[in-house]
This record gives sequence, C-alpha cells and structure tokens, in this order.
Amino acid sequence: MSAVTAPVRRASGGVNMKLVNRIVIYGLLALFALFYLMPLFVMLVTSFKTMDEIQNGNMLALPQSPTLEPWFKAWGETCVGLTCAGIKGYFWNSIKMVVPAVLISTMMGALNGYVLTKWRFRGHTLVFGLMLFACFIPFQSVLLPMATILGSLGRFGVSLQNSVGTSFGLGNPTVNLVFVHVVYGLGFTTLFFRNYYEAFPTELVKAAQVDGASFFQIFRRIMLPNSMPIFVVTVIYQFTNIWNDFLFASAYAGTGDAMPMTVALNNVVNTSTGVVEYNVNMAAAMIAALPTLIVYVVAGRYFVRGLMAGAVKG
Amino acid sequence: MAFLEIDGLKKRFGNVEILKGINVELEKGGFLVLVGPSGCGKSTLLNTIAGLEQITEGEIRVDGRAINDLHPSKRDIAMVFQSYALYPNMTVAGNISFGMEMRGVPAAERQAAIDKVAKVLQIGHLLQRKPSQLSGGQRQRVAMGRALVRDPKLFLFDEPLSNLDAKLRVDMRIEIKRLHATTGTTIVYVTHDQIEAMTLATKIAVMRDGEVQQFGTPAEIYNNPTNLFVADFMGSPAMNLIPATIATSGNALSVVLQREAREPISLPMANAPAGLSAFQGKPIIFGVRPEALTDPEGAERNASNIATADLHIEVVEPAGSDTFAVTNLGGKGVVARLRADANIQPGTNTPLAFNLTKAVFFDPATENRIL
Repeated sequence: MSAVTAPVRRASGGVNMKLVNRIVIYGLLALFALFYLMPLFVMLVTSFKTMDEIQNGNMLALPQSPTLEPWFKAWGETCVGLTCAGIKGYFWNSIKMVVPAVLISTMMGALNGYVLTKWRFRGHTLVFGLMLFACFIPFQSVLLPMATILGSLGRFGVSLQNSVGTSFGLGNPTVNLVFVHVVYGLGFTTLFFRNYYEAFPTELVKAAQVDGASFFQIFRRIMLPNSMPIFVVTVIYQFTNIWNDFLFASAYAGTGDAMPMTVALNNVVNTSTGVVEYNVNMAAAMIAALPTLIVYVVAGRYFVRGLMAGAVKG
Repeated sequence: MAFLEIDGLKKRFGNVEILKGINVELEKGGFLVLVGPSGCGKSTLLNTIAGLEQITEGEIRVDGRAINDLHPSKRDIAMVFQSYALYPNMTVAGNISFGMEMRGVPAAERQAAIDKVAKVLQIGHLLQRKPSQLSGGQRQRVAMGRALVRDPKLFLFDEPLSNLDAKLRVDMRIEIKRLHATTGTTIVYVTHDQIEAMTLATKIAVMRDGEVQQFGTPAEIYNNPTNLFVADFMGSPAMNLIPATIATSGNALSVVLQREAREPISLPMANAPAGLSAFQGKPIIFGVRPEALTDPEGAERNASNIATADLHIEVVEPAGSDTFAVTNLGGKGVVARLRADANIQPGTNTPLAFNLTKAVFFDPATENRIL
C-alpha cells in the first residue's frame, strides 16, 4: 500500500531507494538459492565424473569427460554390505513398500475425514483430537513398543502358516513397514481430509442420500471425485515422508533382502572396504532422491493449489 | 384423510426443543408453504419429512403410510436444495439420472426419463455440460429436473429461489407454479419470503420458535391473522399495528388513536364486533393493512364501514404502481397505500379513509387476536 501512496511526497529520492531495495532483495534471494543449490550441484557433477577427475580436480568443476558409468555401477554393481548387485533391488523394495503404504493411508484418511465431517457421531471431536495427537508423537518413542507389536504379529503369522498354510504376509518386513507407515500416516491424512471435507457442502451428501446412494456409494461417487486437490497433496506428503524414512526402515527392515532404499544407500556410503567411490555414492544418492523429485515436479502445482484450496473459497 | 399428515411432531437436540409439536395436513396435489424467520425450525421440519433428520416424537404419514422411520430413499420423496446440491463431477444428465442409477434402473429407461424431463424444463441442450458451466437459473432447472425425474409422491423444496437475483426469482416462481398446475404434484416448500408464500401456496403454515403460529389458506392468513406475529410477518409493506384504546360515544364504540401534537382521532365503529366492548378503556392494538388506509376517493366503494380522518403526512414514497404515505399514529409510523396518481404532499394535513371492515384487533398482553 505504501508504495502507492508514498511517492507523492518524496518523488526524487523514491526511485533510487526502490532500486537499492530491489538489488538487496534479489541479491539475497540469489545468494540463498546458490547456497541451497550448491550441494545438489556438487552431487550432480560428481556423479558424472571419473574417479581420477574427482581425486585430482576441483569439487565444483564441471566434468571433463562426462560418463554415465557411476550411474550404471550404482544401479547394478555396487556393494551394499556384502552383496554386490547394486541398489536396484532395494529401489524396488522401497517402491513395493511406499506405493501400498501411500495408497492405504490416503484412502483411510479420506474415509476418516468423510466420517468425521458427514457422519458425525457422539464424541467425534475427541476421536479427531486423538488422531491429531498422532501427528505430534515423536517416532523414536514408539520404536520399541512397535517392535514388540510387530514381533507378536510375526509369531501370529508363523502359527497361521503352520495351521492354515499361509501367513497373510504377517512377519514379512515389507508388510511390517507398510503397516507402520499406515498407522503413523493416518493422523496426517485424516487431518488433511477432515479439513477439506469440513468445507465440502453437506447438501451434496443429503441429496445423494435422497437419491438412494449408500454410505460407500456416496464416498466413491460423490466425495472422492471431488477431492482431487487434497488427494494430490496427501499423496505427495505421504510419498515423500515414507520414501525418505530412515528410522523405521533401519529399525524394522535394517538387514536382509527387504531393506528399503534409504537404508541401502546408507550401507553403500558406509562400506569400509576398498576406495570410497564418491561418484558412485553420488549417483546412488541421486537415484534415491529421484522418485520424490519426480512426484514434486509432476504434481507440485496441485500441491500449492491444494494447500490454498479452502483458504479463499470461490 | 389427508395425503400428508404431520401429527404431534417434536424434535429435540439434547435438551433444546427445536420443533414443539407440529400438526399440519395437506391434501393430494396441494402446495404447502412453511414460512417464518430464520431459526424458526422450518428447514428442520422439511428435513424430518425428507428423513435427513430423525424425529423425537410424533408421526409423519404420506398417503396413509407412516414414513418417519424409513430411510430417505425409501420415502418416495424428491428434494430441491437451497444450494441446488448438483454433483460437480457429473454432467447434467448424470445428475438427473443418479437416483435412478442407484435404484438399478436400466440405462435405456434412464435415457428416456432424462429426455422427457429435459423437454419439460427445456434443458435438452445442457445435458452434456457440467454444473460449473451453467448459470444460476439453469442450475435451478437441473435441480428441479433431478427431483421431477423420480416422479415421487411428495416434492420438498428448501428455499430454492433464495440464491437467484430478483428478476429471475419472479420468473422461476411463476415456473414452479405452472409446474405444480400442470403436473398436479404435492409440494412442501420452505421459504422466508412471505411473497413466495402468498403467491405459491394453497396452504401456509407460519412458524416461529418451533411452533406453527397459524395454518390456513393464503387468504385466511392475510385477512385473519391469529396473532400479532402473523399479522406483522405476512404482507409487504407490513400491517400497521397501532396502539389504541376503545371508547364509547353514545351507544356506539369507537377506536381512539393518539396523534402527535394534536387531539386524538376517534374512529366510530358501526356494527362493532361483540367482544370489543369488554376492552373499553383498556389498551389494544389496532391493525389495519396499508391498502385499507387510503385516500377517500380510492377507498373501496361497497365497504360498509369507512371512517375518514385528517392525518399529518410525514413522508411520501412514490413506488410507481402505488404511492405510499407515512404518517404517525399512537407513536408509530403508519403506512397508507394510495393510488399512483394521488395528489399528496409531505408536510400537509390530508384526509385519509380507514376501511374498518378490514380492521383487526389484538390484545397487547397476549399478542392474540381479540376477535
């Protein structure tokens, strides 16, 4: 506002001040952008260099003879612990764990939000309050209790295996991680969907009831098709969190074949045998970061739009 | 036996009684309007008929069958909502046929029904559009189409015109009335607009604080309001409700109204209603509609009881079709309705005629009609 009214008084000094302000603002922005982008830049250039170049050259220099060799090595040959078959297996481990965990927690969050706003029951605020509380629990504090529960589930799986012939995946580390991430993601997904559905016109639900739609028909035909923005927000949020999670991954699937990407990357970098292959490490780290980057780039504009939706309505 | 019967209906939320014993009946093909200020319970009453709210006590019968424990979809009703409540993700055709789809009607039959309704409401060219691409009036039509297509026993309208602009509202009002006349359906309609109530209804229920204040035909409600609330709420401009006293002059009764800075005026009541003499010397409320207070030339010729008095005109409002003059009686502004070309100036004293056959009297203590 002051920019509009002030120049009338100090027209002469105004132009210079404005220019200085601009320079300071853009200068600071450029500086911080540089600061934040530097590590990414170093990672990227290092991953395309040969080991000779890394050992003899400047860290910030562009690769003299760019090579994709480190990327292929990271993907298919590098040693994770004692096995040397690259990180590709662990990449798929993460995908197999993240996709079901994201979808299940998002759908359950949507269902919770739907019930908490459109099918209110006695004590719904208390239930929502408790679910919200789940967002504030430090995950370190639940590591041991959760390990106990997963252990019991595993033993139950074994006895199921013996009596029925199948364990239904109980005790499988990937299933365990999906379970853990669904449980601890529910607080956030419920919060997102409840707040979105709070502003969702209840008359639509009533109209559908009069039209004869059932509880789940209303959810599937009316609520979900009109939830795209918050759906995208929740998927991005959950995908990033679960993909990047290291704590649960290392605690419940830290060894063996089901190890997710984050743990595998840590093992690649921490290998103590032989020379440290920085270019391979960097390539592996880039591969590990790629899915979340892609999700942001593809759905990022929905992310911003979704966070704004409801704030200024219509 | 009436087609729609609401019998001793009560609705409580916790300790708060929202509806305090509603009794209403409507014949088949009737048009019932529930009217009242916001918070009077009219929308809640409609929702209980629809089954979107459970009732605490009483019974709702349609065509002799109690429906108050049935799921909304089993009640054979259709509802038009205030916000239209069109499903934003479906086309107009999808919106209209959603109910049939839920009831498992085959696709060919659905298409035939859509086409029929689209023809009646002239929305054939809109069928493939999404609700966001429609104007307010078109959305209103689609919402009505969604109700019409079900061919239900009972139509429920929840303030369907309140989101439209003034001109469109009048058009749609006429359209609803025409639709009612041609299809002969039974309608329950909620509004806070007393003009809509008067023009559309065959029966009006005026509600306040969860109670029906008066239930009757529009003419009954307008001409014979049972209490001050109904008298004040129905009619625009509102009925003049003037504090007055009853006096005897000779063997006839007269109504005495206070004027500002002048001697009171006394209106002789020929053929005064019998109960009025009991109120001699006591304060009463004298009610007269603006059209029953007019210039002597414009007064109804065959009215049996007309009294003329000289009144000080404070404000003149020419409204085109009529001219309204505001004066002051008994400490209150009083509106008179004159012919459009009436020659009247503010600040002058002008004789105006009271049509006392149309006058009503209320007891200020109970707020009820005296006779």
